[in-house]
Amino acid sequence: MVLVKRPLKTRELLTMAWFMVGLKSADTTPAMLAGHTKNAVWLVPIASLLFLLPSFLLLMHLLKKHKNYNLVELIQHLLGSKIGTLLCLLIFLSAFIVIVLDLRNYVEQINYLYFPNASTTFIFTIFLLVCFITASKGLESIGSISWMFMPFILFTIIFILWLGQSNAVWNRIFPIFGSGLGVILTEGWNKSSLFLEMFLLTIGYQAFREPKFFRRGIYLGSGLAFFFITFFYLTYAIVFDYNTIENVAFPYQETTEIVTLGHFFTNVSTFFMVGWLICSFLRFSVFLYLLVWTFGAIFKVKPFESYLLPFCFLILTLGSIAPSFVTNELSVREVVLEYISPIFLLFPFLLWVMSLLRGRRER
Amino acid sequence: MRKLLVMIVCIPMIILLSGCTDRKEIEEQAFVVAVGVDKTDKPNIFRFTFQIANPEVGSSTISPSPNESPQELVSVLGADFLSATNAANSSVAKEITLEQVRVVIISSKLAKSNEFIHLMQTVPSTVELRLNAQLVVSKEKAADFLQQNKPKMETRPHKYYQYMLDRAKETGIIPDAPLSRFYYITEGDADLFIAPLATVKPEDKQEYKSEDKYTAGDIPLKGENKTQFMGSALFKEGKMIDELTGEETRISVMLDPTLSQQDFIANYKDPLKPDYKIAARFKAEEPKITVDYRPNGKTTIYADINFRLDVYSIPSTVNYISDDKKRELLRNNLERQLKQMTEKFIEVTQKKYKGEPFYWSLHIRRHFLTIQDYEKADWSKKIYPNAEIKMNFRLTSLEFGKVLRQSDLGRVKD
Repeated sequence: MVLVKRPLKTRELLTMAWFMVGLKSADTTPAMLAGHTKNAVWLVPIASLLFLLPSFLLLMHLLKKHKNYNLVELIQHLLGSKIGTLLCLLIFLSAFIVIVLDLRNYVEQINYLYFPNASTTFIFTIFLLVCFITASKGLESIGSISWMFMPFILFTIIFILWLGQSNAVWNRIFPIFGSGLGVILTEGWNKSSLFLEMFLLTIGYQAFREPKFFRRGIYLGSGLAFFFITFFYLTYAIVFDYNTIENVAFPYQETTEIVTLGHFFTNVSTFFMVGWLICSFLRFSVFLYLLVWTFGAIFKVKPFESYLLPFCFLILTLGSIAPSFVTNELSVREVVLEYISPIFLLFPFLLWVMSLLRGRRER
Repeated sequence: MRKLLVMIVCIPMIILLSGCTDRKEIEEQAFVVAVGVDKTDKPNIFRFTFQIANPEVGSSTISPSPNESPQELVSVLGADFLSATNAANSSVAKEITLEQVRVVIISSKLAKSNEFIHLMQTVPSTVELRLNAQLVVSKEKAADFLQQNKPKMETRPHKYYQYMLDRAKETGIIPDAPLSRFYYITEGDADLFIAPLATVKPEDKQEYKSEDKYTAGDIPLKGENKTQFMGSALFKEGKMIDELTGEETRISVMLDPTLSQQDFIANYKDPLKPDYKIAARFKAEEPKITVDYRPNGKTTIYADINFRLDVYSIPSTVNYISDDKKRELLRNNLERQLKQMTEKFIEVTQKKYKGEPFYWSLHIRRHFLTIQDYEKADWSKKIYPNAEIKMNFRLTSLEFGKVLRQSDLGRVKD
C-alpha cells in the first residue's frame, strides 16, 4: 500500500494541538497556579496567551514567509548553523525537561488515584510503552487516532463541565483578581512555557499537504485548547473555593468525585477517567514524537523514529530521579517552567530581527 | 513479522498487567456505607464504627443466602479513617473499602471538641473516602446510633441513608452537608456550617409543637424505629457551637442561594382565628441577596425572597378563597409571619453566633478586587454582626387546592 505523501490535514492537527495544549486543564497545573493566584487561576491562561500571542504570530509569519522550512530549519537558516543549532538545542532541552517532569507528574497521578498499590516505575514503564508504540506509528497515525477519539473526549469534557455546574457557585469568582492583578500577570509571564507545545508543533510545518492546513489546524486547535483551559480553571475556581483550590492537587479528578448523576449514579468518576487517560496517552505520544523529530532535525538524522526507544529509556531514568511527587511538582517543575519561559517568549523576536536584517542585506 | 510478534506480546500485557497489582475482586471487599466517629478518653484517638453492607442481601439478581444479615458493625480505635479500616480487618474477613461511604456520623461530643477539625483534616488526602459523603451529627454516641438505628422497611443500609437524607433534605428540615461543603466553609472562614442532626434516643416528653419547631430527639414519634433526623448542628470554625431546630434550618436553607430546597408543607397561623392553623405547601425561589457595602459606615444587606403557597386546609373555615379582602389580609399576614420568623432568627445569628449559616459572604466578595482586601474587611467579625438586614418577602402566588369554597360548618353543626 502506498501512502499518499504528506496526508495530514487540518482536522488531525486541530485535535493534536487541542489535546496537547489542552490537557493542562486536567492535570496538576491549576493547583500549581492557584497556589499563587487563588481563585483568579482562570485568568492566568488568558494572561499567558496575551504574552505568547505576539511571539507565536511572529513565528507563524516567519514560517509563512520563508517557505519550505520547519522550525529547526528556519532557526538554522536565519541564525546561521552555529548559533541556530545552539538555540535549537536550547528549545529541545527545555521541551525534553518538560516532558520528563510532566510524564512523572501524570504517572504519579495515575498511580496515586487509580492504582495505589502498583509501583511508580511499573506504571511509568507501561505508560511509556503505550506512548512509544503509538508514537512509532508516525504522526499520521497519531493524528488519525486523535481525530477518532475526538468525539468521545469532547463528550467527556462537555459532560463534566455540565455536571460541574451543579456544584458551582458563580459568586466564588469574586474577588475577581484573586491575589492581585500583578500576581496574575507575573504568573502568566513566568508560566507561559506551559504552552510551549504550540511552538514545538511547528516542527511539523512541512508535514502537511499544504501549509494552509497547518496554519488553520494550529490556530483552531490552540484556540480551542485555551478556551477549554480557561473554562476548566474557571469551573475549578467556582467549584472549590479560593481557600480549598490551592490544596487540591488533582482538581479534575476531585471534581469528578464530587459530581453525581442524580440519585442513582453517585460515583461516576471512573467514567471520566477513561477520556482523561486516552487524552494523556495521545498527548505524550505526540509530545514524544515531536521531541524526537526536533532532535532528528537538529542533528540531521533520518529516519529519526529509531531514536524513540532510547529516548523513552532516558525519560524513564530521568523521570524517576525526583524523590516524590511534591518535589517534582512544586520545586522542580515550577522553577523549570519559570526559567524556560523567556526562551519561548523571546526567540521569535530574535528570528524576526535577523530576518529583517537579512532581507535588507539582500536588497 | 518481528513487529507483529512484539505487538502480540505487548498489547495483551498492557491490558492484563496494568490491572494486576491493584486488582480487587468485588467479592473480596467489604463496602462500608456509614462510618461513626466517637471521642475517646485519649486525645486524638477516636472510636470508629463501620457499618458494612452485605451486597448479597436485597439485590434482586443474586438469590440471597437466607441466614446472612444485611449489615455488620465493627468498632475499633484509631487515629484516622484509613488506619482504622486496617484495625477493623482483624475481625472482618474481607478488605474494608471506604469508597461507598454515604454518611459520616459524628457524635455531638466529638463535634464540640477541638480535636474534630484535626480529624477532618486527614480526610481530603484519603483517596478512598469520597467528599460527597454526608456529614451527620448524632446526639448520642455515633456507635450507639449505628447500633440502634434499625429501619424496618429498608434492609439495605446504603439505600436507607440515601432515601432518608434525600427526603429530609427536600423538606428542608435538615441541610445538605457533603464533606466538601464542610471544607469550603471552614477553610473560607467567613460563614457557619450546618450539618444534619439525628438521634435514636428520643426524649420522653411528648409535647406538640408546630411541625418544624423540633430538633432531633424531641419529636413525639411513636413507632418501632426510633431514629429521627431533624434540625441541624451549627459549626463555627470547625467546631460545633449549637443546635438549630427544624424551623431554623429551613430558614437557613431558604436564605442560602447555594442550597436548593424543595417544597414542603407547613402550618401557619390563621390571621382571623388565631386558634386555628392553616396548612400550606411552601415553595421559595432562590433568594436574591444584595449587599450595600460601606467600608466606614453601616452595611445593609437586602434579601428578596419570592415564594409560593398552595393552601391545603383552612380548619377555621374562614372564607379566604372567594373573599378578596380576606384573601388580601391572609396574603399580607403570611408575608409578615415569614418575615418576623426570619428576622428573629437573623437577630439570633447576629447577636449570639456572630456569624451566619447562609453562605452570604459570597455576596460581598464582588465589592473587592483582591482576596487581601476582602479578608481585611473581615465579613464574619466586622461586617455581618453589625450589618442592617432588610428582608423582603413577596408572595407571588396563592392557591387554594381543588376546592372552590369552604363548606359552611356552622350549617352542618346545626
